[in-house]
Amino acid sequence: MKLGKKVKPITFLLLPFTLISIFVLYPIVATVFYSFYDKGLGSFSLRNYIDVVFATSPLNMLIARTLHSSPPWGALIHNLVWVALHVPLVTFLGLILAFLLKYYVKGSIVIKAVLFLGIVIPPAVGGLVIRFMFDEIVGIFPRLFSYTGIELLSKTWTSYPQIALFALILGSVWIWLGFAVTVFSAALETVPKSHIDAARVFGASMWHIFSKIVVPELKPAITIVVVMTVLWDLKIFDVVYASTGGGPGGSTTVLALVMYNYFARALDYYKSAAVAVILTLITVPFIVLVLRWLKE
Amino acid sequence: MIKTTTKKLIKTILINAVIWALALLWVLPFIGLALVSLMPYRGVIVRGWLRLPSLDSLSFKNFIEALANPLYDMATGYRNSVIVASASTILPLISAALAAYAFTYLDFRLKAMLFGLIIVIMMVPQQLVVVPLFFLYNYLRLYNTIPGIVLLHSAWGVAWSTFFLRNYFKFIPKSLVDAARVFGASDFQIFRKIVMPLSIPGIIAATVLQFTWVWNDLFYALTFLVSKENQVLTQKLVMLKGEYHIDWGLLTAGSIITMSMPLILYIAFNKYFMRGVAGWGVRR
Amino acid sequence: MRGTPVKLEGVTKRFRNVVAVCNLKLEISGGELLVLLGPSGCGKTTTLRVVAGLEIPDEGRVYIDNTDVTYLEPGERGVAMVFQDYALYPHMTAFDNIAFPLKVRAKRLRLSKRDIEERVLRVAKMLGIESLLDRKPTQLSGGQQQRVALARALVTEPRVWLMDEPLSNLDALIRLQVRAELKKLQKDLGITTIYVTHDQVEALSLADRVAVMNAGRIVQVGTPREVYENPQHIFVATFIGAPPMNIVKCKVSNNLIECPGFVKRIPGEKLQGLNTIHIGIRPEHIELTRREESDIEGVVYVVEPLGAEYIINVLIDKDTLIKVKTIREVQLSTGDKVYLRVDWKKAVAFDPATGQTLADLLPTLKGEGSR
Repeated sequence: MKLGKKVKPITFLLLPFTLISIFVLYPIVATVFYSFYDKGLGSFSLRNYIDVVFATSPLNMLIARTLHSSPPWGALIHNLVWVALHVPLVTFLGLILAFLLKYYVKGSIVIKAVLFLGIVIPPAVGGLVIRFMFDEIVGIFPRLFSYTGIELLSKTWTSYPQIALFALILGSVWIWLGFAVTVFSAALETVPKSHIDAARVFGASMWHIFSKIVVPELKPAITIVVVMTVLWDLKIFDVVYASTGGGPGGSTTVLALVMYNYFARALDYYKSAAVAVILTLITVPFIVLVLRWLKE
Repeated sequence: MIKTTTKKLIKTILINAVIWALALLWVLPFIGLALVSLMPYRGVIVRGWLRLPSLDSLSFKNFIEALANPLYDMATGYRNSVIVASASTILPLISAALAAYAFTYLDFRLKAMLFGLIIVIMMVPQQLVVVPLFFLYNYLRLYNTIPGIVLLHSAWGVAWSTFFLRNYFKFIPKSLVDAARVFGASDFQIFRKIVMPLSIPGIIAATVLQFTWVWNDLFYALTFLVSKENQVLTQKLVMLKGEYHIDWGLLTAGSIITMSMPLILYIAFNKYFMRGVAGWGVRR
Repeated sequence: MRGTPVKLEGVTKRFRNVVAVCNLKLEISGGELLVLLGPSGCGKTTTLRVVAGLEIPDEGRVYIDNTDVTYLEPGERGVAMVFQDYALYPHMTAFDNIAFPLKVRAKRLRLSKRDIEERVLRVAKMLGIESLLDRKPTQLSGGQQQRVALARALVTEPRVWLMDEPLSNLDALIRLQVRAELKKLQKDLGITTIYVTHDQVEALSLADRVAVMNAGRIVQVGTPREVYENPQHIFVATFIGAPPMNIVKCKVSNNLIECPGFVKRIPGEKLQGLNTIHIGIRPEHIELTRREESDIEGVVYVVEPLGAEYIINVLIDKDTLIKVKTIREVQLSTGDKVYLRVDWKKAVAFDPATGQTLADLLPTLKGEGSR
C-alpha cells in the first residue's frame, strides 16, 4: 500500500516538471549566468549591466541622459510612465463600469463581451489597431482632434515622438479594460444584495454606495487587477513591436523591446540577458505581492 | 411623488446611453478594420471609411493577396499557427491535468514548494528564458523548428494550466474522491472516471485560453522561428507593415485573418473565456 | 416618531410572470408590532420591501402617516430596515456602521460630527453595546452583530421599523433571549414595526397582530389568540400551532358526519350541499381517557417524548394518523390501544373546496359523538 502511494505522485508529475525544468527553470538560471558573462574578458563581470544601463542610443537606452519635456526618455521610464497612466485609468474606469453595468445598465452581458474582445485578439493586432486608429489618414482620433484645431494631435500620433507613447498607452486601455471589467464584475457578485439595499434605505446616493461600500468591499479584486496590470505594462512587447517598433526615434521603446533588439539586431546575447534580468527584477516586488495575496 | 421616479428614470436612461455609446466606440476599430479591408483604398483616403460603402465596390482582393501572394504568405502562417497552437495545447493540458490531480489529492513532500515554484514561473517575464534556450536549441538543432517552439510553449502552458486546474479541482467535493478511495479505486481510475468528467468546463476553459495564448504569441515566434516556411501568422502579419508606406487594405485584411481564429473560439466558447479570466479576481 | 400608522391598499407586485403580492390590503396602527407570517414564497418579504421602497408596486398604494409614499425613494420615507444577514459593512467598525445612515444625510440634516457621535452613543447604550463600538463585524458574535444592526436601524429615529427575519441567523438559545428583548424595546419606543418571519412560534410571541400570508395574499389578520383559536381558513389553522392541527376527512350523509374512527350527528340544514367535510382538532385539545368516556379509539403508532410534553401518534383508522399532545406522563408504546376524548368546543370544520372555516358548525359540534 505505502509503496504504491509513493510511486503515484512521481508518475503524475514527471512529464510536467521535466518540461518545466528544461524549458523554464534551467533557462532562467542560465540567463542570470549569461548576463554576467563578459565577452571581452572571457569571464564574469558587471560589464553588460553597465553598458546596458548607461547606453545612450535612443533605441537602446533605459534611462535618458537628460529628461526633456517629451519622449524619448528611455525604455525604463517609458514602462513606468505606462504604468503610471494605464493602471489608474484601467482600474477606475473598470470599477465604475462594472458598478454601472451591474446595477443600472440593460444588456450588460453584451457590453462585457465587447469590452473583453481586447484581450482575446493577439496583442500584435492590438498594436496595429492602435497604429490604425491614430493614423491621420485612416484613423479616427486625428480627425476628431482636427476639429479642435490642435495641430499636433491631428497628425499621425505614432509618427511624432512627443505623443507616440501616449497613443500606445491610450490604445492599451482599449485592449486591457475588458480584463478589469471582467474581474470586477465577478467580484461584485460576491457583494451581498442586502448591503446595497440597506444603503438605499438609509438614503445613500449612488456615489455613496459606490465609494463607501462597493469599492472597499472590492479591495482584494482591486489589488489583483492593479498587480496584473502593472505586470502586463512592464512586460509589454507585442503591442509596441507591431505598431511603432520602438520609434520614432526611440520614443516608444520598452524594456522587452530593448531586450529583443540586443538579441535579434545587435546579436549581443549577453547584454540581452542582462536586460531580461533587469526586467525581471523590476517585476519582482509585484510578483511578491501576488504570492502574498494568493497565500491569504 | 411621480417626480422622483421620473428623475430616476432619466438617470438610468442617461447612464445606459453613455455606456452603450462607449460600447459602440469600443467596437469601432473592428468596424474600421473590416471596412478598410474590403473597400478600395483610394476611396478610404479620399472619403474615409466611416460610411456605408456601395456593395459593388467591396472586394476580397486584400484577403486573397495577403493569403496567396508569396511575399506575404499568410496561408503558410495560418497553417503553422494551427499546428503550433494545437500541439502546444494538447501536450501541456494533459500533463497539467495530471499534475493538478497530484497537487489536489495526493500528499508528498515538497508539495508546497513545487506549487510555489509553479506560481513564480507564471509571473516571470517570457524574456528571461530566451538566451540560454537559443544556445541550447542551436546545439540540439531545434532552432527554427516547430517542435522546438512547441516544447517551449508547452512548458509555460503546463505551469499556468496546472495552477488553473488545481483551483478548479478544489471545487469538486472531496467526499466524491474519498468515497472512491474507500471503494478501492486507484488514482488513475479516480482521475479518469471522476475528476476529469467533473472538470470538463475547467478543462475547456484552460484549453481555449492556452490555445489563444499560443496563437497570439509574437515574441517567441520572432525569437525562435526565422524561416518563411516555419513562421507563424502573427509574424507574417507584422511583416505586412512596410517601413515607409502602409497598405492599409492589406494590413487590415491581414489583421482580420490573424484574429479570425481567436474570435471564432471566443464566440463559440465565450462563457469559458470570461469565467477563466474572472477566476483571477474572486477568492477561491 | 411615535405611533405612525401604515396602510397598504390594493398592492400588487409582479416579477416577470409570477405574482408575488396580489391586491394586498393592510392597515397597521401606530406603535403596533405587526408580523407578516407565512411560508417561503408567500410574498411577505416582497410586501416588506414595497413598504421600504426597495420595490415599486405595479398597482396599489402605500401610505405612511397618511402620506402617499408609494413612489418615494427608500431614504425619503423615514423607515429603517433590519436584514436577515444584518448587512453590516465588514470594512467599517461597529461605530461607523451605526453612524453610516447619519453620515450619509449629514449635510441634509445639518448634523455635526459631534451630533452624530452623540446619537450613536445614545443608541448604543440603549442596546448595551457601547463597549463594542471599536470592533469590526467579524470580531463580534452573532448576537452582538444583531444588536449593531438594530442600533443602526434606530439611530435615524425612524417612523417605521421593518424587519426581515432578523433572528433566523441566531443560535436557538440566543434567539429566545433576543426575542424577548426586542419585544420590550419595541414597546418602550413605540415605533410601528412590520416584522417578517416564517416561524409561527416567533410570530405568536412577538406580535400585537399577525397577518398570515399565502401565495401573495393575506389569509387572515388577527391577534395571536384570534388566529390560534379562531382560524378562518384551513391554511391558518394548520400553519399555526405546533404540532399542526389534525385534519380528518369526513363523509357527509343525511344528518351524519362519518369520520375515520368516529361519527357525529349534525342538523341537516347546516350540511347543505356538502358531500365531504374536514374536521380540525388541535393535538392539545385531545385527551387520553378511559373507554367509557372516550370519543375515539385507536392504536399507538409511535410516542415522541419531548421532555415537558409527549406527542402520541395514534392510528384511528387504517390510514388516518392523528397526533395527541399531553403533558401528563405517559407509559405507552407502539401497538397499545388508547381511548381519546376530544374537546369539541375547540374543534373546527372546514369546507373541503374552499378551505374556509364553516363557522356556524362549531357550536353544533359540541353535541354528542359516538364511535
